[in-house]
Amino acid sequence: MEAIIPETVHYTAFAFLLIALVLAFFRLMRGPTIHDRIVAMDLTASIIMGFILLYSVLIRKAFYFDIAIVISLISFMGTVAISTYLRQKR
Amino acid sequence: MKEMLISILMLSGTLFILIAALGLIRFKDLYSRMHATTKATSFGLLLLVVGVALFFFTGIVLLKAILIVLFIYLTAPLAAHSIARSFRNEDQESRD
Repeated sequence: MEAIIPETVHYTAFAFLLIALVLAFFRLMRGPTIHDRIVAMDLTASIIMGFILLYSVLIRKAFYFDIAIVISLISFMGTVAISTYLRQKR
Repeated sequence: MKEMLISILMLSGTLFILIAALGLIRFKDLYSRMHATTKATSFGLLLLVVGVALFFFTGIVLLKAILIVLFIYLTAPLAAHSIARSFRNEDQESRD
């Protein structure tokens, strides 16, 4: 037996994440340095993870957890790769 | 009862991520921006993952939830440290 989450909670949570995505996108567009853009991309990956977790609750399928694991791994590797590249570029 | 707990966890988790994005757009320094995004996002994802794991509540889902939380809490400080160090190197060079 699984709990039934009200629709209002789903809509509110998705709205919060959507507003967060728009704000991160603004910082991605007009960040003064490239490091701000990397931070914004990191936050965007976390927001996408939140979207996928909420969507797995919405459609009641548990295997979406694997996608969250893979996204967190790829986001970490991308962030470290870009910052290492920026440090060794000079 | 369980629905209420899961709803509160999901809403507070997404609210923490929203606060992190608000800090990213409002603060005026890279260090304060990272201070906002790294910790608040990790905590928000922790709450969200715990809520979703309580929703399904099977063994494999709980194991994967522990794995996700452990991985996030291990890698978020490392990524933030890496970005901050590359920014600091550039900052010091431009100041010299």
